Amino acid sequence: MASQMPIATSLLILLLLILGGAAASSPSGEDLVAELETLRSQSPSGFIHLDDRLVSRFLTSAATPRPYSLFIFFDAAQLRSKPELHLPHLHSEFALLSASFAAHHRKDDASSSFPGTHRLFFCDIEFGESQNSFALFGVSSLPHARLVPASALSLRDDSIPMDQSDFSRGAESMADFLEAKAKIPLGGPILRPPPISPRQALFLLAALLISSPFLIRRVLAGDTLVHDRRLWMALALFVYFFGVSGTMHNIIRNMPMFLPDRSNPDRLIFFFQGSGMQLGAEGFAVGFLYMVVGLVLAFATHALARWKSVSAQRGFMLVGMLVSYWAVSKVIYLDNWKTGYSIHAFWPNSWR
Amino acid sequence: MAASSETKGEGTLRKAFGGVLGFFILLLIGAFAFSIRLFSVIKYESVIHEFDPYFNYRVTQFLTKNGIYDFWNWFDDRTWYPLGRVIGGTVYPGLTLTAGSIWWLLNNLNIPLSVETVCVFTAPIFSANASWATYLLTKEVKGTGAGLTAAALLAMVPSYISRSVAGSYDNEAVAIFALIFTFYLYIKTLNTGSLFYATLNALSYFYMVCSWGGYTFIINLIPMHVLLCIVTGRYSPRLYIAYAPLVVLGTLLASLVPVVGFNAVMTSEHFASFLVFIIIHVVALVYYIKGILSPKMFKVAVTLVVTIGIAVCCAVLAILIALVASSPTKGWSGRSLSLLDPTYASKYIPIIASVSEHQPPTWPSYFMDINVLAFLVPAGIVACFLPLSDASSFMVLYITTSVYFSGVMVRLMLVLAPAACIMSGIALSEAFDVFTRSIKLQLPKLFESPSGSGDIDSTQDEVVKVDNKSATDKSETAPKERPSKKNRKKEREIVETTIKKPLNAKRLLVLPLEASSVAILLLIIFGAFYVVHCVWAAAEAYSAPSIVLTSHSHDGLHVFDDFREAYAWLRHNTDVDDKVASWWDYGYQTTAMANRTVIVDNNTWNNTHIATVGTAMSSPEKPAWEIFNSLDVKYVLVVFGGLVGYPSDDINKFLWMVRIGGGVFPHIREPDYLRDGQYRIDAHATPTMLNCLMYKLSYYRFVETDGKGFDRVRRTEIGKKHFKLTHFEEVFTTHHWMVRIYKLKSPKNRIRGKSKKSKSNSKTGPSNSKRHSNLRKNPW
Repeated sequence: MASQMPIATSLLILLLLILGGAAASSPSGEDLVAELETLRSQSPSGFIHLDDRLVSRFLTSAATPRPYSLFIFFDAAQLRSKPELHLPHLHSEFALLSASFAAHHRKDDASSSFPGTHRLFFCDIEFGESQNSFALFGVSSLPHARLVPASALSLRDDSIPMDQSDFSRGAESMADFLEAKAKIPLGGPILRPPPISPRQALFLLAALLISSPFLIRRVLAGDTLVHDRRLWMALALFVYFFGVSGTMHNIIRNMPMFLPDRSNPDRLIFFFQGSGMQLGAEGFAVGFLYMVVGLVLAFATHALARWKSVSAQRGFMLVGMLVSYWAVSKVIYLDNWKTGYSIHAFWPNSWR
Repeated sequence: MAASSETKGEGTLRKAFGGVLGFFILLLIGAFAFSIRLFSVIKYESVIHEFDPYFNYRVTQFLTKNGIYDFWNWFDDRTWYPLGRVIGGTVYPGLTLTAGSIWWLLNNLNIPLSVETVCVFTAPIFSANASWATYLLTKEVKGTGAGLTAAALLAMVPSYISRSVAGSYDNEAVAIFALIFTFYLYIKTLNTGSLFYATLNALSYFYMVCSWGGYTFIINLIPMHVLLCIVTGRYSPRLYIAYAPLVVLGTLLASLVPVVGFNAVMTSEHFASFLVFIIIHVVALVYYIKGILSPKMFKVAVTLVVTIGIAVCCAVLAILIALVASSPTKGWSGRSLSLLDPTYASKYIPIIASVSEHQPPTWPSYFMDINVLAFLVPAGIVACFLPLSDASSFMVLYITTSVYFSGVMVRLMLVLAPAACIMSGIALSEAFDVFTRSIKLQLPKLFESPSGSGDIDSTQDEVVKVDNKSATDKSETAPKERPSKKNRKKEREIVETTIKKPLNAKRLLVLPLEASSVAILLLIIFGAFYVVHCVWAAAEAYSAPSIVLTSHSHDGLHVFDDFREAYAWLRHNTDVDDKVASWWDYGYQTTAMANRTVIVDNNTWNNTHIATVGTAMSSPEKPAWEIFNSLDVKYVLVVFGGLVGYPSDDINKFLWMVRIGGGVFPHIREPDYLRDGQYRIDAHATPTMLNCLMYKLSYYRFVETDGKGFDRVRRTEIGKKHFKLTHFEEVFTTHHWMVRIYKLKSPKNRIRGKSKKSKSNSKTGPSNSKRHSNLRKNPW
């Protein structure tokens, strides 16, 4: 009995020691939250830059349930130059969301700092410096963002990845995702910085006010830029060119200027067959042809007759007619090719 | 003296001859505009086309049967069940009233035409009117020659034909005429300064408001032009007379139209006109004071007036902004917003973005719809600036705004078409003017004295005179009638001096003879190509009624008359009060042709209701049945093109149903219907897709047709071939399977376990007990 006692005691002591050691080595949730808050306060836009060490400290080695959840944006410096991924844009949207979240929740943090409050921290993580964490999360493609809830044990399976569609509208859709999946309301609208800062706006207003007497005087006198007919003419022609080349279609549909050829990567496709869609370059090319013919005709009608040299007139008309003929036939050819229509006349039967 | 009177007599004779010739040309243009639109009647038959025209036809029938007062107060309970729709207050009555009065007039003249015939031919008649209005408008801008050319171009411009073939009985048919005519009267008032035309202008604007929602284009374009005139220092009393009565009378008249009502003063679309109304008064005051004061006093006064004016403007502006900002959409309707911010609709309003005519056009659509006019318009724009008058600046503004708007929405190509015709008419007429003048003046010289260099000076002088004359003639926009000469005189003098100066500096305004003749030849070929294209477009592209389809194959012509077959079946085989559910595209046709109540129709006023139908179509059978049953629906109609390869069927529209449904009911999610972002119905389709009602109703028994279930629109075999319907039963499928009608199975047959419950619920009533006895006999 006496011999058993010390063993039991020593076991108990060992257990206590282990527990105590564990307690000493892994900080409490409170400490982690405090640490996260300091990290957050160091960054200007209010989100934390994670690396492998921090991931293990705050996620893998922290006991669940953690008193916080993390919303992580996965970034890769080497892929930022790829335009189709929109990584820089999404990153800035993410920062915007983080800043708005911080702004809406600052009051809550100040007033209620008792333990157990649910905390959300925005983090980003870079592929080049923390490849292990990427593997840990099982992230293989970008853009990617993940919410790690407080109770998540396995980073790969228990965290909630954000859908591609949730990226589509930038910060707003990310906020929707947060609200739907984590039940964390943003608490207000996304606070986008105004396109011009208040100081700039004031400056502009002041400039306008100071210049307005001069402007009004010039308008009354009738010698401003807006009284110049050539300006208006150029503007009207430009708008016409802009419209008739289908630029609005390119803007609304986000059409590229040209596509790489799938079968032959060195070649570029400038003209797309099928009338429902057009590429940017083809619209401008055809718009340019429209303009050329119209302007040649206008020049021949209004300016050419005033030239003194008859041979110059003759030469210009010859060139102009050739160019116009070529442009019109080119457009007709392109249109028939693109739409597949074959336009034909209807002749009387007896003529055939 | 005698010689001069002789030439004078000759001149008047020529003028009279020109006038008669012009009149006959106009008559021919009208006849041409009418007859080029008859291809649809000749190739198909005299039927109303497409979707919206059926609604207009139904309204016109109601009007002719019940009279104007009943029409004004008409509450239609056969649509938007169970909500109904106030037709009198939500419809633009212009078209209906026009056709109704034509019918009434003809009947009173003892010409017994049916309402349908009148409706079918309204659009061609108004196209002829529109080409005459174009003549008048262009004549005001650049003279008779340009007017005739523009009218001829407009008579056959494909864009306008597409909306005004015989049978296409839609608002645009009369609205384009009203639009051009309003512009004509505005320019006429601007040129003459006559209050008579100003009043007519307001009335014409009223007709436009009655006819089409596009009237907001007018009430924004004209203020823009007025503002432009003011800013560029072209203010004149004529401008005031042209604008102020239009705003006052026009707004008063517009608010008489029920569908517009107080919108005429409360929505942002109209605010521009009020703002400009204030500005023009301030400017008018400034000019008035400038007139009565000495220049020195004026300088003192101008500071005072400008400060007061700016203060007033700022105050009004602040009020306007406050008013606008207080409304959620900033006072703009969705359609207008999607014009100003082109990406707006695709983001926020799927129901606007889903309509094919709201898509942005590509360059081939421009070439299809205005054809070679696209080449001529730049020349027309340049011509309008040489010289720039009030009228020509208006045309420039018209073309630039309309070309922008047409770039956002393909249906607004219709507004661009008249502008393009006028511009091209101006360009063509100026070009012909120069080229024919070159020939006319040089041809005699060629024969007379090839070596006589002494003559040249005198002929050149003559040329200058002739030129001068023709140029001033052209600059006189209204040579015949000038009621208020006083106002115009000053202006015209300025114009004349600006023209004379360059003419005197340069002498011979002609081009080389042979080059001119080749150029004329080229222009004629150019025009001939336009005619060929327009006739082709009218005959082949725009004449299909879309209610009757045809296809040419190696064994001849096939006619698909499935729609009318299905509607006739509904009309004859269902109860008068039965409700039919379908996607909203077929609502108007169902009410007009089958005379059955529908849930949603093409007047997409209630997004939630449409989303409900969309949700039902995208749900599995049971929830869909519950939704339809809750709406009292007896029959469900789907359009299916897989057997004959008709591409605009419901399966192709299905993603929009999902989107619109999901917009209101979030449990419908678009990704559930897409496999890796691709919409497919073959074996790789998602289970949600294969189990949704639309898939099942479309492909039910489809495999029996060819044994494989090959869909000829999607060019693939369908994913799920053999299945049974549990909550719906097929009652009718048309000859080519294009329309399939299903009946909702009655609930008691279906749910055996619940029959007890329903029995206990409804003990009273003999009819119920009878049904229960039936139920017991039923093997189910």
